[in-house]
Amino acid sequence: MKPEDQAWMQLREHAASRISPGFPDRVLREARGERSPLFVAQFAMCAATAALCLGAVALYQSGVSGDDDAKNLAGWSEITAQANDLEQGL
Amino acid sequence: MEESSTTTLGDRVRRAQRGDEGAMRELIVAYQRRVAGFAYAITGRSDSVEDLAQMVFVKMARALDRLKAPEQFESWLFRLARNTCIDHLRRQKLRRIFTPFAPEHENVPEPAGAVDSEELDALRHALAQLRPKDRALLALVQEGRSHAEIAATFRTSVAAVKARLHRAREQLRQHYHRDET
Repeated sequence: MKPEDQAWMQLREHAASRISPGFPDRVLREARGERSPLFVAQFAMCAATAALCLGAVALYQSGVSGDDDAKNLAGWSEITAQANDLEQGL
Repeated sequence: MEESSTTTLGDRVRRAQRGDEGAMRELIVAYQRRVAGFAYAITGRSDSVEDLAQMVFVKMARALDRLKAPEQFESWLFRLARNTCIDHLRRQKLRRIFTPFAPEHENVPEPAGAVDSEELDALRHALAQLRPKDRALLALVQEGRSHAEIAATFRTSVAAVKARLHRAREQLRQHYHRDET
């Protein structure tokens, strides 16, 4: 046997050793379109994290915009009062 | 003997085509080691072997009912494996354009203990010097595919396959012995 042939055999053996137990089941599950429990758990975790972040941003945003609205209203009231005073003076 | 094994394979493929999950599992078990070796020869990365093998077999399971000649299952499967591996390498190349890595990250060595023989290491290095299509060609020959089957896989003539194979073998031999010395 040539040294290359020996190396090819080792290559095949080494590659085969990388296939973990339960491989056919995983393939059949994937082919049926089912996701592994790990994938479902990861997906649920991602979705929960995204929802939490979105909620936090919305809460913060509503607080900030509420403050801004109050400031703007106060500013406008002041301008209206000044305009009224000016009108009465004329 | 040859004929009976072909018949058995043909029967198994036909049963899988009819939706027999047991037959499908038998096909996966029968070919998983060979497909893994084939993917390793083309990509040179043992850490992606299982993912690639899984992609090949999922494609096989989903497309098996379109195989018209069950006796030609083996060459069909290795054509599927070859295309999957070449696509994988193309995608990797494309990804590198958009997310360039430093040279030291391009060729990350195999994890410690992953390659424990000098012959295998020399073969891996020699294969890495070849073009992916030439690696696929040599891997198909190692899988016992005939020149005619390889010509059909590569959509070329038998004479062209012989010429390319001769060149690829010569290059592999040169790099293999250079790495060994």
